[in-house]
Amino acid sequence: MSRLPRGCHNIGGDQAMVMERCRKAFLSRFSSFGYRPFQPAGLQLLDVAWNHLPGSLRSRIIPVNSSHGEPCCLRPDLTLAAVAYLASHHAPHERPLRLCYADKVFRASQRPEKDVEHFQIGAELLGWDGEGADSEIIYLLLCTMEALDIKDYTIVLGDVKLIQEALKGLGAGLASALAGALQEGAYETYRSIIQRSDIPVARRDILLALPGLKGGREVLKKARNLPGDPLPLDGLEGIVNTLEKLGFGTHIRLDLGMARELDYYSGPLFEVYVEKTGQTLGGGGRYDGLLSSYGMVGQAVGFALDLEKLASVSPKAGDGKPLLMAWSGGLPPAKALSLAQELTGLGIALELNWHSSRRTSIELARLRGYRWWADLAAEKVTNLDDEREMPLEMLSREGA
Amino acid sequence: MFTIALPTGRVMEDALELLRCAGLPVKNLQDCGRNLVIEEEDCRYVLAKPMDVPLYAHYGIADLALAGSDVLWESGASLVELADTGRGKCRLAIAGPEGLAERFLGHESEIMGLRIATKYPRIADAHFSARGILIEIVHLHGSIELAPRLGMSDCILDIVQTGGTLRANKLVVIDEIAPVSLRLVASRKSAQLKWERIHEIVERIREGVEGR
Repeated sequence: MSRLPRGCHNIGGDQAMVMERCRKAFLSRFSSFGYRPFQPAGLQLLDVAWNHLPGSLRSRIIPVNSSHGEPCCLRPDLTLAAVAYLASHHAPHERPLRLCYADKVFRASQRPEKDVEHFQIGAELLGWDGEGADSEIIYLLLCTMEALDIKDYTIVLGDVKLIQEALKGLGAGLASALAGALQEGAYETYRSIIQRSDIPVARRDILLALPGLKGGREVLKKARNLPGDPLPLDGLEGIVNTLEKLGFGTHIRLDLGMARELDYYSGPLFEVYVEKTGQTLGGGGRYDGLLSSYGMVGQAVGFALDLEKLASVSPKAGDGKPLLMAWSGGLPPAKALSLAQELTGLGIALELNWHSSRRTSIELARLRGYRWWADLAAEKVTNLDDEREMPLEMLSREGA
Repeated sequence: MFTIALPTGRVMEDALELLRCAGLPVKNLQDCGRNLVIEEEDCRYVLAKPMDVPLYAHYGIADLALAGSDVLWESGASLVELADTGRGKCRLAIAGPEGLAERFLGHESEIMGLRIATKYPRIADAHFSARGILIEIVHLHGSIELAPRLGMSDCILDIVQTGGTLRANKLVVIDEIAPVSLRLVASRKSAQLKWERIHEIVERIREGVEGR
């Protein structure tokens, strides 16, 4: 019996290679902007996770007992771990802190999906009190998408402050029902709640308009023309202006009715979409409230993307697969390894093969999809497409 | 290409009328024969079993879908619900032999461990769990009304339209769970990336529904 628990899976082959390429590109981009790698603990205390996570994630916690008998859960969220780390390891004068990570989170599956483990990449900028943090993190995220050669991505920007402003003074029950309907994407329910309620006309018009304010920058103008008190659009517009100036205008859309974990996010927020998948690749935003729940003052902004989904839409070419299979040809291991080391030093990635049979080695190379097969003993390399043979030094001279 | 998933079966006529109302091309769809993927102008229609329709939008294959609110609830698909078309109206209800109705009016213990036949196991579980009642679910895919009559279950949870089938099988509605109607839904991705087109379709359908 070698099956895995339902909702879990091993990832290998090409998919693992693409994921690794995406992970490296992401970490490299963020590290170059001062984001330090963060390796969170796999288990978290159950009460801590329960007290700090939004309701939608609480219901997906997977509880376990540690071997010390403490009630724990498999890490359901990486942001929580990052904030807890900041609170306990860094004094206020050390802030802001920039962290990036690539690790797994474990959540009870939500039908119709089956997965309980998700590989996430993400970054957090914690404790910065001035402007620029939101734009910085979104800009770096967009740069990563470009570096991964993903062409058709779109980042959808919103701001929970708009919804909070529109719901202000409505009464807790009504506001909560409307926020819940927006968050679930239940627009029909949202409309019917508004129509059944006794809401002043100007406010009603704003509330009815919010979910439909989706599109390009023109929706900001439409929102400014709505009746009643002006919505707080300046912050969002500032981010759009910055990203447009940086050349990302064609990848930006706005959704002024975007409601993502309203009890968790506290300002601008965003989601990333690509044509090939029905659900978002991930997203993030401002979550100052979580920081204050740990007794810290200041801004916190971060995001997480699903690495597996990201890899599934990233081009497969250049995914780090070795160029050739190098057959030892009966050479002593020390000699074969030295030759292999010379080739890798020239940028030629290879897979060694120690089989005694030349024919079997070539068959294996074909099976693995290699174009080149090298005989280290004879110092020759064969193009497996057309069987042409040439001295190994020619390939060495041209490099990878 | 703009893709719309549609349910085969009894609501197909309603779906066709709604698409017409939205100004979408339906000539090829009307004469589709056994084809399950029909293309016309820049639209592609995918015909699927009603229970599968929400998944086409969830996974982003379809931009839009027309699906019953019962199957949307049962599937758990993460979608944007755009409009209640008011078509295909019926009710999700628990039905059983007349004698069982009294037990539902009494204390929870009266119906604890009840055996319920249904093609909506998740809705049944959610409905009774919310009341703290443990039930036994018999998951069937059709002819649900037969189950109590043949002793396979105590009652059923199913959609009820006129009640004719229930009466024919000596069953009565005991508890109504939710009204059901045909809903227009969008994939989360398309609701963001193709909103302008979706909005136009929603408005036309809404005008059609409200103008009826």
